[in-house]
Amino acid sequence: MTPAAVALCQHCLLPVGRRGFARTVNGESCRFCCYGCCIAHQVKSGSGDASEAAWFLVRLGVGSFLSMNIMLFSLLVYSGAFNGPDRRVLPTIQLLLWALATPAVLILGEPFLRETWSQARQGRLTSSALIVLGSLAAYVYSTLAVFQRGGHLYFDTASMVLMLFTLGRYLEATGRARASRDLAPLLAAERELATVVEGAQEHRRPVHEVRAGMLIRVKPGERIPVDGLIVEGSTHTDEAVITGESRQIAKSVGAPVLAGSINLDGPLLIRSSGAGGESRWAQICRSVREALRQSSRTQRIADRLVGVFVPIVLALAGVTLLYWMQSLPLDQAMLIALSVLVVACPCAVGLAAPMAHSLGIGQLARHGCLVRSPGALEALAGARLIAFDKTGTLTLGRPKLVDLASDGVAEEEVLARLAGLERHSEHGLAQAIATAAIARGLDPTATEDVRIVPGRGLRGHVHGETVAAGSAALMGELGWQLPPTLSKRADEMASTGHSVVFVGWCENARAGRARAVLSFDDTLLPEVEATIGALRGLGLMVTLLSGDHAGAAARVAATVGVDEWQAGMLPEAKRAALDQYRERYGAIAMVGDGLNDGPGLACADVGIAVGSATDLARETADLVLPADGLWLLPWVLGRARAVRSTILANLAWAFGYNLIALTCAALGLLQPILAAAVMAGSSLMVVLNSLRLERLPGPSYPGVLQSPAAAQTASEPQPREQGQGRELAMLKAES
Amino acid sequence: MTYYPLLFLAGFAGSFHCIGMCGGFACALGADPRGAGATSVRHVLYNTGRLTTYCFLGGLAGGLGQAICTSLGLRQDLGTTFLSASLDAGQRALAVVAGLLMIIMALSFFGLRGWHRATNSFGGSTLVISLRSLLRTPGYGAPLAFGVLNGFLPCPLVYAMVAQAASTVDVLSGILTMAVFGLGTFPAMLAMGHLGRLLAPRWRTRGVRLAGGFILALGLVTLGRGILPMAALHGSHNPWHFT
Repeated sequence: MTPAAVALCQHCLLPVGRRGFARTVNGESCRFCCYGCCIAHQVKSGSGDASEAAWFLVRLGVGSFLSMNIMLFSLLVYSGAFNGPDRRVLPTIQLLLWALATPAVLILGEPFLRETWSQARQGRLTSSALIVLGSLAAYVYSTLAVFQRGGHLYFDTASMVLMLFTLGRYLEATGRARASRDLAPLLAAERELATVVEGAQEHRRPVHEVRAGMLIRVKPGERIPVDGLIVEGSTHTDEAVITGESRQIAKSVGAPVLAGSINLDGPLLIRSSGAGGESRWAQICRSVREALRQSSRTQRIADRLVGVFVPIVLALAGVTLLYWMQSLPLDQAMLIALSVLVVACPCAVGLAAPMAHSLGIGQLARHGCLVRSPGALEALAGARLIAFDKTGTLTLGRPKLVDLASDGVAEEEVLARLAGLERHSEHGLAQAIATAAIARGLDPTATEDVRIVPGRGLRGHVHGETVAAGSAALMGELGWQLPPTLSKRADEMASTGHSVVFVGWCENARAGRARAVLSFDDTLLPEVEATIGALRGLGLMVTLLSGDHAGAAARVAATVGVDEWQAGMLPEAKRAALDQYRERYGAIAMVGDGLNDGPGLACADVGIAVGSATDLARETADLVLPADGLWLLPWVLGRARAVRSTILANLAWAFGYNLIALTCAALGLLQPILAAAVMAGSSLMVVLNSLRLERLPGPSYPGVLQSPAAAQTASEPQPREQGQGRELAMLKAES
Repeated sequence: MTYYPLLFLAGFAGSFHCIGMCGGFACALGADPRGAGATSVRHVLYNTGRLTTYCFLGGLAGGLGQAICTSLGLRQDLGTTFLSASLDAGQRALAVVAGLLMIIMALSFFGLRGWHRATNSFGGSTLVISLRSLLRTPGYGAPLAFGVLNGFLPCPLVYAMVAQAASTVDVLSGILTMAVFGLGTFPAMLAMGHLGRLLAPRWRTRGVRLAGGFILALGLVTLGRGILPMAALHGSHNPWHFT
């Protein structure tokens, strides 16, 4: 892909693509995906003195003035107002029409001509070529007719076609910009300026130039440009862009602030804690931008069709002309061919997918859900099976130590060694062990070269001797003995559905053995049952693929009501299971916490990570839900389906419309002006149909009334209200 | 022909309604630094643009009405005698629709809102934003373009008149309807440009009521034209029939 193909339009944030062109607005070089976006952007950003901004509207207005006058006189001519005794004035009227049409065609047609020319130089034909060819043919023919005093005039066709297309593109662009409204705060990270305080001076600098340790001033109402600590001032912030929840959070000196959050009410001086381009906001921005640049399969097919459409239409128009010339005078045959040219303009097809995508991605992003590519959305919509990882996904991921049985060693030693080992792990159990160790006032034993044994546990060295913690299988692999007392206790623990961890180590250069077994209880997330119920209600098969032992998995499976479950699975086994499912069910989605199940997420058609704390750039997931955001999943799925059905409806509409209109035009049933209006209407229909996505309801927390989480969430604003508060915050941020 | 003066008056009274929105624009268009002459040119251009849009809409509506009636006529084309009869039927149907529309809009002027919200939708707000950037642009192109686009702003008064234009079932009459109405708005709008907001809001409210009254009257007459039997309108002496 060339750089031009992946850049995003300045106005509507969709990929610039092939119709794109560059222009300087307010001294800033901008890229636009189409002429309409260029006008609309200038109109929007033109604040007062930017005369070039208004120039586009002037062009549209004056062009409309001229073409409306042409239309008026032409209508009068058609309706026979000059048929009677006023016939003498007809040549004068014709001259007048020519005088009006010449500037109208120049003014309105110039952008289309320019686009056609620049594309033609690269050997491509775009839809604007059709418009230019059509209107120029009508203009040239009518000019000849005026000066040779013969035949009909089609100045109204020439100018109205251009005017309608200009108008259509403008409306299209405004619609698209509206579609990307949700994305704007997320994409602002790249162009945001930070007020850097250097001594007594303050400079406005791009965020990516900010380094750690710089002092940044943030006024109330501004977005905080970098991660940092407050040095001076206190305020409330809204971190909605990052967390998806709009909530006022009080911050004072020493408190950390997140880039992208809005400083609501107090002036701040903050010390940047990292480079400006490294904040999570900047990462989200890059991720969203990347997602917008990608195209889904549907869109690629549509684009390819559009590519071959134009030459076919040109040929068809030629054939139409030749066919009708045999039975009709040249001007009427030309008019029919012209209708064919104009009505075939495949603008709506090119618009069908990207707009729905950007709306979908934007709305998901507004609730903290990040999508890696539009293709992921479409794949999710088509998924028929959804597999869940258990730990950290369906459960809190913050297990508690509930039981410890040791074999000939002190409990304190077990915990200290375990804490030392688990200090190097991000696994959910590590936190529980650390908590337990701290509660007993123990210092973790220093442990070296700790390695993760995927799906089994951890091993490391203390003073050169191996220490390991994990499943019975890990002990077996190490060749370590499992004392019967411990394995019996472990069976008891497991039968109640708790997670079991063996700890063992080598001592005095002798072969190691398992010395203790610990059990952990991981509570289910309160919303899991409702969420899985909702997913099954949406017609999905739900399965549980757990790395845990069968007892724990069975307990969870029974509680939440999944269709199938498998336990004790290593990452490779999960992968194999997913492959099997794919054979049986087609597209599948996998939900995990993004830490232990990377391979599974990567293997599924759609990998969904919940609350992943790891670097977004390294994610294997296609979709990232916010922390504690599992309950959003049915909503996300509904959104994905709505996006897909919108795209399909758009494509069906655009193609169906084009084909029917094309047939009518070729048969001579469609006037060119009507054809142009029909085409502009078609694009508008696609835009409006896509904008319908905006009106779908936001997510609502499931079972707030019934679930045990009610007490917990009651103190916080409800998600639905958060969405609204969020919009308010955005309004504030924009004004 | 009492018909056109009535339209003119509706435009004139209605322009007090316009002052709220369009008059604001006219004021914002302001004075040209090059003097009173240039200022006048600016405002005349602005109003010409507006008038053009109105005429265009009128011509379109009239043409559409004509097309509808003609196609109705063609469908029942059993002979020339039937043609005029069916044309007449189509014209009557259009008159009923237009009359009802006008009455609904007239009622909105008396405070029965609801319709108003529907007219100020997506397209309207987009246009208003667009227009602002034109106001301060120098040159003569801008006021003209501004007027043209201003003419497309959603306005119940214009809609009512377009409905009237459609019911005339003739391009020329449609254009004339809108032209007369547009000319009716000239005095107030030109005055606005020069004098600024001299009129008290009280007067504006009265103007709105008055405009509503005129539109109601026009609507009733149009409706009557569709419903009442031809005999009641004295055949060829029908004052609403101007071909």
